[in-house]
Amino acid sequence: MKTNILGIYEDEKVLTDAVDKLQAQGVTISDVFSPIPLHGIWEKLNLTTRLPLATFLYGAFGAALTFAFLFWTSVVSYPLKFGGKPLNTLSFIIIMFVLTINIGTLFTFITYFVREKMFPGKQVKLDVPRTTDDQFTIVIERPLDMSLDEEKKINALLKETGAVEVIETNN
Amino acid sequence: MDNKLQIGSKFKMAMFALIAVGVITVIAGFLTGEATRTWANLLLNNYYFLAVALGATFWLAIQAITQSGWSAAFVRVPQAMGNYLIVSFFLFLILFLGIHNLYHWTHHDAVLQDAILLHKAPYLNLPFFAIRYVIFFALWIFLTQRIKKLSLKEDQLGGTVFFEKIEFTSKVYIFVLAISFSLFSIDWLMSLDAHWYSTIYAVKKFVMAFYHGTAIVLAIIIILNKLGQFPMLNKTHLGDFSRWLFVLSMIWGYMWLSQYLLIWYANIPEETVYYVPRIMGEYKNYFYSELIINWLFPFLFLMWNRVGKNANALLFVIFVLIVGQWVELYMSIMPNTIESHSITYVEIGTFLGFAGVFALVIAWSLTKAPLVPRNHPYLQESIEDGH
Repeated sequence: MKTNILGIYEDEKVLTDAVDKLQAQGVTISDVFSPIPLHGIWEKLNLTTRLPLATFLYGAFGAALTFAFLFWTSVVSYPLKFGGKPLNTLSFIIIMFVLTINIGTLFTFITYFVREKMFPGKQVKLDVPRTTDDQFTIVIERPLDMSLDEEKKINALLKETGAVEVIETNN
Repeated sequence: MDNKLQIGSKFKMAMFALIAVGVITVIAGFLTGEATRTWANLLLNNYYFLAVALGATFWLAIQAITQSGWSAAFVRVPQAMGNYLIVSFFLFLILFLGIHNLYHWTHHDAVLQDAILLHKAPYLNLPFFAIRYVIFFALWIFLTQRIKKLSLKEDQLGGTVFFEKIEFTSKVYIFVLAISFSLFSIDWLMSLDAHWYSTIYAVKKFVMAFYHGTAIVLAIIIILNKLGQFPMLNKTHLGDFSRWLFVLSMIWGYMWLSQYLLIWYANIPEETVYYVPRIMGEYKNYFYSELIINWLFPFLFLMWNRVGKNANALLFVIFVLIVGQWVELYMSIMPNTIESHSITYVEIGTFLGFAGVFALVIAWSLTKAPLVPRNHPYLQESIEDGH
C-alpha cells in the first residue's frame, strides 16, 4: 500500500513553475501526469528509461534474424540463381530494412505493455480522470513515517504554487 | 542582445592567406599542365560551397514554413550564408573559361557524330546552359535577399506582418529551389557524363545540400557560441539540431541506396556504366567511404542521445560531414574528368581557397545585422526553449 499526495493544476506553465519551487524546497516529486507532452519536465524530474535501448537491441536482433532467414532460404536451403545475381545479394536490404522496423516496433510495444501491466480490456483506474483532458497532476510519494507537519507543509506548498485541489490517494 | 559581430584582424588575415593559397594553387595547377584537374577541382569546390549555402537557406525556409519557434534566435546565420550565392555567381563564371575541358557535349564536332548527344542538344547546348545558369542564380539571389530584407525590416518595425511575408516567400523559394537546383545539378554535374542519366541524381544532390548545409549552420552557431555569442544556446537547441542531422543522414542514405540498388538490380549496361569505374576501379575505397562517412557513422553516432546534446561531439560529426560532402562530390566529378584518382596539392589548395572565401563572406555578412533578430514573434520561445 502506497500513499500519494496529488496536486492538481489547470495550466502547464503553472505546473512547471510549481515543480521548480517544490524541488527548491526539497520535496521529491515522483511523477507528473499531463494530457500533453511537457517540454523539459523529463529532465527536471530525473526520470530514466531503458526503452530506447531495448528498441535498439530489438532492431539489431531483427536485422540479424531477418538476414539469417534470408541467407538460409536463398543460399543454404534453396540456392537458385536468377538474373545473374549472387546468391547472397543486396536485395536482402529492403526486406531487412522493413522487418527490422517491424520487429523493433512490435517488441517495444510488447515490452511496454508487459512493464506497465497493461492488456486489452483493462479497466482504467484514474485518480484524477481529467488528467487525460485538461488537468495536470504532480505526484508526491508519502512514506508511512512522514510526520503530519511535513505533510501539511507539502499541502500548503502545493496550494501556494497554484494547485486548484490537493488530494491523497491509496493504491 | 543587440551586439553586432566584429571581425578580428587575425581572422581576416588567416582567411586572406587561405584565399592566397587557393589562387596560387590554381595558377600552379594550370602552369604545371594539370588543366583538367584544376578545372575539375574548381567545379567541385564551386558546387560544394554553393550547395552548402543553398542547403542552409533551404533549412531557413523550412523553419519559416513550419513556424518553428525553437530556431528563431538563429535565423541570422543561414540568412548570412545566403549572401554567398552572390559571390558564387561570379566564381561559377570562371568555369565558363574551362567548359570545354570539363564537358564533352560542348564540343560541336563531337555532338554531330553522336546520336545521343544530338538528341539532347536542344537542351544541352551552351547558350541555353548559360541562360539557365543566369536565371537560376537570379531567382535564388532575389528570393534569399528578399527573405533577409523582410527579416531586417521586422527588426525595426515588429509585428507579425513580416513573419507572414517571410513565410510566403519561403514557400515560393522551396518550390523554386526544388526545380532549379535539380536542373542545376543535372547541368553542372550529371552532364559531365552526358550519355548517362539517373532520375534520382538531382534528388540525391538536393538532399546532400540540405544535409550538409544544415550541418554548417550548426557548426557556425557552435563556433560563435564558443566565441561568446548566442548565450541562449542550450542542450535543447543542440538536441533539435542533432535530430535534423540524424533525420537528414537517413534521407541521404535512403537516396544513395535508391539510386544504387535500382541500377544494380536492373543491371542495364547504359545505367551501370556510371558505377563501373566507381565501384570496380581505383575509386573503390571512396565509393564505400562515401556511404560510411555520410550515413553509417552519423546514423549510429547521433542515435546516442548524449552525443546530440554535446557541442564538441556535434562539431566532430560536422567535421566528418565536411569531409563526407567532399568525398561525395569527388566521386561524382573525378571519374568523368581526371579519370585516374590521386589527391594532389591541387585538391587541397583549391578547397582551402574556397573555404577562405566562404568563411570571409559569411563572417562579413554576419557583421551587417544584429546576430539575434529583435522582433521575431517566436524569439522569446526560442530563448526560453528547454528552460
